[in-house]
Amino acid sequence: MTRPISTEPSPLLPAPPRTPDARRCQVLVVAPEAGDGTVQSLGQWAGDAGLDVEAAADLPRAVRQLAARRWDVVLAILGERPDEELSWWADALRGAAGTPRLLAAAHAPSMGLALRGEKLGVLDLLSLPLRRDDLLKALRRVLAAATEVPVPLPEVRHQAVGPYALVGQSPAMLEVYKLTARVAASSATVLIQGESGTGKEVVARAIHLNGAKAAGSFVAVNCAAIPENLLESELFGHEKGAFTGAIMRKMGRFEQAAGGTLFLDEIADMSLALQSKILRAVQEREIERVGGTETLPVDVRLIAATNRDLQAAIAQGRFREDLYYRLAVVTIRLPKLTDRGDDLVLLTAYFVRHFAERYGKQIGVISDRALELLRSHPWLGNVRELRNVVERAVIVATDDMLRAEHLPEELRGAEAALAERPQAALPTLAELEARHIARVLAHTNGQVGAAAEILGIHRNTLTRKMKEYGL
Amino acid sequence: MSEPLLPPVRVEQALRLLPELEALGPLRALLVSTSLPDERALWSSSGPYLTLGKRGVQPEELRGRMPQAFHRITAHLQMLYEAYVAALESQQRGDGAGAVAALLHAGRVEEGVGRLLQAGAWYEVALGVSAALQDRRPEVESLGALGRLALELGQYAAGARHFQRSLALAEAEFDQVGAIAACEGLGDAALSQGEWSGARAWYARGLRLAEASAALRAVGRLERQLGVLARKQGDVAAAGEHLRRARERLEAAGAPEEVARVLSAQGQLDAELGRHGAAAAAYREALAWVQRGPRDAALELSIRISLAELQLAAGRLLEADEELRRAEQLAIAGNLTRRLTEIYTLMGRLRGAQDDETGFVFFEQAIELSKLLDRTPAAEAQVYLEYGLFRERVGQREEARAYLERAREIFDSLGEAVARERVDAELRKMSA
Repeated sequence: MTRPISTEPSPLLPAPPRTPDARRCQVLVVAPEAGDGTVQSLGQWAGDAGLDVEAAADLPRAVRQLAARRWDVVLAILGERPDEELSWWADALRGAAGTPRLLAAAHAPSMGLALRGEKLGVLDLLSLPLRRDDLLKALRRVLAAATEVPVPLPEVRHQAVGPYALVGQSPAMLEVYKLTARVAASSATVLIQGESGTGKEVVARAIHLNGAKAAGSFVAVNCAAIPENLLESELFGHEKGAFTGAIMRKMGRFEQAAGGTLFLDEIADMSLALQSKILRAVQEREIERVGGTETLPVDVRLIAATNRDLQAAIAQGRFREDLYYRLAVVTIRLPKLTDRGDDLVLLTAYFVRHFAERYGKQIGVISDRALELLRSHPWLGNVRELRNVVERAVIVATDDMLRAEHLPEELRGAEAALAERPQAALPTLAELEARHIARVLAHTNGQVGAAAEILGIHRNTLTRKMKEYGL
Repeated sequence: MSEPLLPPVRVEQALRLLPELEALGPLRALLVSTSLPDERALWSSSGPYLTLGKRGVQPEELRGRMPQAFHRITAHLQMLYEAYVAALESQQRGDGAGAVAALLHAGRVEEGVGRLLQAGAWYEVALGVSAALQDRRPEVESLGALGRLALELGQYAAGARHFQRSLALAEAEFDQVGAIAACEGLGDAALSQGEWSGARAWYARGLRLAEASAALRAVGRLERQLGVLARKQGDVAAAGEHLRRARERLEAAGAPEEVARVLSAQGQLDAELGRHGAAAAAYREALAWVQRGPRDAALELSIRISLAELQLAAGRLLEADEELRRAEQLAIAGNLTRRLTEIYTLMGRLRGAQDDETGFVFFEQAIELSKLLDRTPAAEAQVYLEYGLFRERVGQREEARAYLERAREIFDSLGEAVARERVDAELRKMSA
């Protein structure tokens, strides 16, 4: 049985800060030599603001310094082409060690530049001349990110489906599992509908593996990926010399899937002419190779999938109605990731473990901030997008915790709005208290006395609460 | 109420509607650069296989951008016409050198937009005019332009002939700049044909001349080429030393785009030595230098492709894929579609590394583009070679053999012995 999902802090001690000195933030400021005094100002503010500041004259020199050691923040003073420069900066930081955060400053930054900065994951866009308070406010956010609280990854029970897995226990997915189990036992043609990345192929494979043709092959064809002029020969095969490039006789996917299942993904992207041929194959259970005259019987179970609204496509004359009814004997609709509630955490945990094993990493926890960013993302690409995001994060992670800084720019751009965002699921007072204590402990590097002082409670009270919350 | 927007037309369909006419070349370029990936396809299961052919074009968008395209075409023609009139005026004044300069300028304008054959036509006229002049420097320059163009087109022997003649004339005229350029060109021609000792001799001679005339940029470039040569010969220490010196000179000369080229060569050296981290750092720094120099999308693209190849070799497939997608976008937006053949071939190789059979779509697209846009048989043969290796990897040996044989056939017809030998080796491996 899958354990309930915990978003409480881990019983582990808060992770130590990443910088050698917990109170000093390593800042690389990049400004032209003939700058406007920004470097000098920073030098003056550095001491009491807890900054270690170094300067680089331009982007190439900064890239060299970024490769040489770890930095917390890069402050880029943008010049006359701020939009373009911002893109170059985002690109340069991709290869830097320790994924430093980018702060940019420009003269009279426009709204367009601010939006671009947000998209590129820029921590903040400041206005020149730089004001001390603005800079420190932005840097405080960097330091806050360094005090992320570890949340243990829940245990996940999954059903392996070939190279994939079915993960999730939301009511919406439970319905999918039930229908999948029912339809697998029959030989009916199935139409799977759902947005991109919801797992249509995984469900198709599950049907195949639990059906009567499980001993046969599962052959998947992505109709939208294959160039139009090649799709017919890919599906039905061709005889040698049937067209330019037909250098030898080729068996099509229908033949390859004989005795098994043929999965036609993104079926709505097929031309009407080809739809007619598929209809014939479904109805007559026979095919002809391109350039051939022989009729070949086919014994395959057909499963089709699409992310399009087929009814609308029929209305527009882009999809054959008769084929639709042939395919949609049973229809399974897959839910969006955002409709699957806490499945997101289970999927995250599953992917973290999966990729940690692949890339030889030891990642046991995720930070509360990273989890919040994942929860607040709209996930237009659903599970596929989540999988990509987690894989990327695992690759760049350097210790046992997956942090917000490991997430791609598109997600980190939302960090600024995080504090203002209303909570989707309101936490209890105890949960909030536990998380806040853990955050302060992380900030004080585990020093109970200092933490008690910040929290304004007696040391003994804090120790009791730490015990109570398992911190 | 406005009518609902119809779905975009796929580029593969749009190109089929366009006849193969030279006058429509700019329209083809506009069509490609206007195309966008279908938003709905980005996260769909076909998303990872997205190629140029599957991108979409909105006719309305194309129509909206046509005035800009007309403006660019007019401006281009205007520059050519003006160059011609300037040549004519020079001729009228009896200023032959001025006429040659104007004609060479027109050729460079054509080269700037990738019209290499047209550029060649201008250079040939310039050469004809310059041959009749007493001052031989214009002829040196014309021959140099033709030589560089020939190398660009892969016509190494022709390029070498132009540079030989150019060098002889330059030396007779005590034209140091012309002689240095000719030596560099001869070295490049030899390097491209695998004639290492010849290349070394030419570069060294050019370097001596450049040092004597304190031509920092030329010194830097020649040091870089000597570094590249040393790497190809396996002399790692010498390669590193040449590249270090090249960088020093070019930084002093204030030539950011040349520094980027040196760093790119450094990246290749590090990559060959298995120093992936250092190679990636060199490429990233090279990209930063590109940003400092005058806009050069072709240089940026080359570095990005090298970076992707590095990640591919290191098994960092996700990063390689991301870098290739950036390169693809740059090639499409920057009208550098010839390089797409290379990019899609690499994407196909990447899918092969994942044992992903559907990766064949990238090779199919690369073949189509090499026929449609690149039109150099060598590029097509290179795709067949990689396609064959891909087919073998996914267990389709017969098809693999057929593609490799096709590659061998083309390389054979081009006299590309080194490439043909590689194909033969792969075929032998397959038979073993």
